[in-house]
Amino acid sequence: MALFERAFQKRELRDPGLFRAIFSNTWLAPLWLLARLYLGYQWLLAGSHKVWGENRWIAVPGPDGLALKGFWERAIAIPEQGRPPISFDWYREFLTFMLNHGWYGWFSWVIALGEVTVGIALIVGAFAGIAALAGAFMSFNFLMAGSASINPVMFVLALLVAFGWKTAGWIGLDRWLLPALGTPWQPGAVVSGLLKRRVAN
Amino acid sequence: MGRIVLLLMGVAAWAAVALAAVFITFNIGGKNQILMFLPILAVVVAVWAVGELVTERVFNRD
Repeated sequence: MALFERAFQKRELRDPGLFRAIFSNTWLAPLWLLARLYLGYQWLLAGSHKVWGENRWIAVPGPDGLALKGFWERAIAIPEQGRPPISFDWYREFLTFMLNHGWYGWFSWVIALGEVTVGIALIVGAFAGIAALAGAFMSFNFLMAGSASINPVMFVLALLVAFGWKTAGWIGLDRWLLPALGTPWQPGAVVSGLLKRRVAN
Repeated sequence: MGRIVLLLMGVAAWAAVALAAVFITFNIGGKNQILMFLPILAVVVAVWAVGELVTERVFNRD
């Protein structure tokens, strides 16, 4: 028992200086800005095709989501020869479930508007870490569905930006948003002011 | 009061960046990615400079 207590006693392991210099220091904010803008305009471009383009996914004459339906059908298909686009059976079953329930209608709105929102949030640096994480999640799902394209690069870059969430939006709205709102474990000026007022009342 | 107006102007400037990015994507998107990236970068850098002034006047002034 004492062995476990010693092994798991509370001790904070500090990140090495180089790691902190890259991910927690504002001197590399310009580098994160470039990464953010690259990711942001790629997502905005992808989302714009789905929201406004000629072959858009949403607000089309007729039922929405037929483009996504076609994408899912191609993704879950198992060819007679060669490898199927999806490697994991559970993910194929997940897409099949959504396809069979006709979820492509509302899900195409989620994807199209999600891509535009993530793109804009990354460009203006608003909640850059959360936006990057959402972008990484979308890239991950495209990869799982067998669509490689530029998604591997987008996925890795988005994860790096998410790691650098404290400084990624320094040249952006996060410069004001993060100190004002703070984090769940350390409320910012505005949130702590509201909490104090609530306690006083 | 002056600080709040200044801060609102700074937020409006970043909102203008979002609109500019959408406008640039809508008009140039897909044709040339470098032509699309550079104007967005230029707008962001310009508004960042405005944002630094706002930060200085609103948050760093006693």
